[in-house]
Amino acid sequence: MSMTPKVLAVAVTAAAFALGGGALNAQQRPGFSPIDKTDQTKAKQDQNLKGNPQPATATPLEKIPLDRIKLPPGFKAEIWSHGHAAGRTMVMGAKGTMFMGTRVIGRVYAITEQGGKREAKVLLQGLTQPNGLAFHNGSLYVFAINRVLRYDNIEDKLDNPGEPVDLTKAYDLPDTVHHNWKYVAFGPDGKMYVQVGANCNICEINPGIHGQIRRYNADGTGMEIVARGVRNTVGFDWHPVTKELWFTDNGRDWAGNDGPEDELNRVAAGQEGAFYGFPYCHANGIPDPDVRMPNACAGVVLPAALTGPHSAGLGIKFYTGTMFPENYRNVAFIARHGSWNREKRFGYDVAVARTDGGKATIEPFLTGMLDEAANQHYSRPSYVFQMADGSLLVSDELHGAIYRITYSAPGKK
Amino acid sequence: MPQAERIKLCSTCHGEDGNSRMPNTPSLAGQPDFYLTNQLFLFREGVRNVPGMSELLKGLKDDDLVALAGHFAALEPKASEEKVDPALAKRGAALVEPMRCASCHLPSFAGQEQMPRLAKQRIDYLIHSLKQFRDNARSGADTLMSNVVIGVSDDDLAALAHYVSSN
Repeated sequence: MSMTPKVLAVAVTAAAFALGGGALNAQQRPGFSPIDKTDQTKAKQDQNLKGNPQPATATPLEKIPLDRIKLPPGFKAEIWSHGHAAGRTMVMGAKGTMFMGTRVIGRVYAITEQGGKREAKVLLQGLTQPNGLAFHNGSLYVFAINRVLRYDNIEDKLDNPGEPVDLTKAYDLPDTVHHNWKYVAFGPDGKMYVQVGANCNICEINPGIHGQIRRYNADGTGMEIVARGVRNTVGFDWHPVTKELWFTDNGRDWAGNDGPEDELNRVAAGQEGAFYGFPYCHANGIPDPDVRMPNACAGVVLPAALTGPHSAGLGIKFYTGTMFPENYRNVAFIARHGSWNREKRFGYDVAVARTDGGKATIEPFLTGMLDEAANQHYSRPSYVFQMADGSLLVSDELHGAIYRITYSAPGKK
Repeated sequence: MPQAERIKLCSTCHGEDGNSRMPNTPSLAGQPDFYLTNQLFLFREGVRNVPGMSELLKGLKDDDLVALAGHFAALEPKASEEKVDPALAKRGAALVEPMRCASCHLPSFAGQEQMPRLAKQRIDYLIHSLKQFRDNARSGADTLMSNVVIGVSDDDLAALAHYVSSN
């Protein structure tokens, strides 16, 4: 097998198995079990490790499994909007338009109120995974894979957005595609923060290019690296009090059912540019079995919390509203998209992270969309968004729907 | 356009029985329904760029695409007339295990859900596709495949294609 040196470590491990397993047995290394051509039900290569299918159509309203949602006492879920197939990221314009980004289907939706009814329309299409959206000074910034477009005064042109200002050259993002569907957001410093993921599951990356969070001036000038050694963050937010950046990070695959677990990380004030471990060190200090490095975890900023094996934490938002009880103030809600590459499904929920300095504890919030006994999921929670009234929106990519979570104290109507 | 006429139009290139005899043009017969539906959406909306495909599907409704996918998914896949090189196929057989191809495409390589059938697919089309994944030239696909073939040589991609097609 001839490959470039970049992936040599992975290839060597694979070869070691082919020759009889080496130090790693099949139990620890799912997907490496031999293919049994005589009895395909025995072949382990396909056992629940595959990616989840995402339909290109939205689930009809009456078939969205809202009733499965479980929440702590006093909280209630309703369907806020639907019909936006595969919608994920949510940003709101100054005039109240909700913009939604997607991955494979390549669309950006605009959701508006029309005569008391919420309506979703395709605003843009034919883009390559336009997951990264930001709204700033009347403009919608759209980050597709390695393409950056700005639509000025967009809310006045929803029927015909016209030609965007192309900022692709200014942002100068790498041309690799894997883990490079973007998450972006403007920080409290007015800079545009941009994810640039590792372009592989596990490999040596060029740390000057991949595995980063960067920030730029809005026009794409003045790039700085905010975090390094980040495998794939698909969501971040700033703590309302400390103004520090917190980000979710998805751990590597094909290293077993138990992880390494995904992470919630903090960029402490004054620690911009710190190293978070990829590809050498994962989770709470686990050296990588393929890309080996002596003292793999030396100098690595370990996570504030582990967020579960293959749970795929995406969107994160700190709650600053007053609708929810006092003990939800300044806690982070994390949408966990749910696992692939794990035999028993995990995640498919919204968790709460309570932060304390540089650490955090994780507790469940929105559950019920995973049937553990049947190993079946009914939702892909993707992003969270806080409304002006303090209610919380959760996007569900699988059904093309947004749920609205409200709270009223027991006894009140 | 009635469905029968539309299918005829598709068959011009993809074969009347859904098995392509045209170089670099994929067979659709026996592909997973889900996979074909997804690809038709991506062509219609200009996410996946193949000359002619977007134009052919312009204006079709979601239901039309679902029906087209269903038609071709139900057809019997047949091996193309391309010659399988036994040496390459042998090499490919040794590659698919460490590359975990069967985890998604199944040990039979019949594909499932969003993952296409590789068995009996045209070899030239498979090579073309694998190169596109490796070279970041295939828009409108999950990027997992780009990770799988990162840095893999042309020769190894050809070996993979000869092997999986011959299943």
